[in-house]
Amino acid sequence: MFNIFSSDDQELELMAPLTGEVLALSEVPDEVFAAKTVGDGVAIKPTDNKLVAPVDGVVKQLFPTKHAVGIETEDGVEILVHIGINTVELDGEGFEKFVDKGDQIEVGDKLITFDLDYIEENATSIITPIVITNINEVDSFEVTEANKVTAGEDKLLTVSI
Amino acid sequence: MKKQAVTIENETGLHARPASMIVDEASTYDADVQIVYDGQEVNAKSIMGVMSLGISQDAEIIVQADGDDEEEAVNTIIELIQSGFGEE
Repeated sequence: MFNIFSSDDQELELMAPLTGEVLALSEVPDEVFAAKTVGDGVAIKPTDNKLVAPVDGVVKQLFPTKHAVGIETEDGVEILVHIGINTVELDGEGFEKFVDKGDQIEVGDKLITFDLDYIEENATSIITPIVITNINEVDSFEVTEANKVTAGEDKLLTVSI
Repeated sequence: MKKQAVTIENETGLHARPASMIVDEASTYDADVQIVYDGQEVNAKSIMGVMSLGISQDAEIIVQADGDDEEEAVNTIIELIQSGFGEE
């Protein structure tokens, strides 16, 4: 549970869930993400087909369409990774999941694989927003200065809780 | 406490976009707002909460609110759901 009375400065490191190019959220071609309606964070344009866990936590949500996964950390930070834009309309085609709602996961665990070419061809974009959905619960966060990151190996965000 | 049941009409259910639209709307009210589905009750002001229900088309959910503006909160969210969130 998230403890709102904690005065300790805690940091949470989010590793890159995907290999690819780091982009600002404003570059996501979807208003609900670009305008930070869903949450605040960063985006990755993947160059590889594997989504891994960016943090230790629990799978809070994994739609039957397998295009997005919600994770809650032990500190109560909620992270949504949404593969591509308008990918809900692909109805699961081009995605394979390796975890289910309620599963405990650790950094680097394989969560979803996807067909990059298929998604680029059939959805609006492959650009993947990675957002903290309960942004009011964190103090601040910093995005890596790297332009390119490797899944499970490079740091993506440092979150102060 | 005001409660009302509604059926999800839009084809893709409550995924990221519709869920964020509900949260945006719910957050404008002082009342505590919840979505109830399949025995689970979540805060309608939490995106992950709403999405974690995995609500798909044809599901019947209950929107409930408790507070000074509960009436308006429930009515507006029910209207939003019935509008299909502007999806085709």
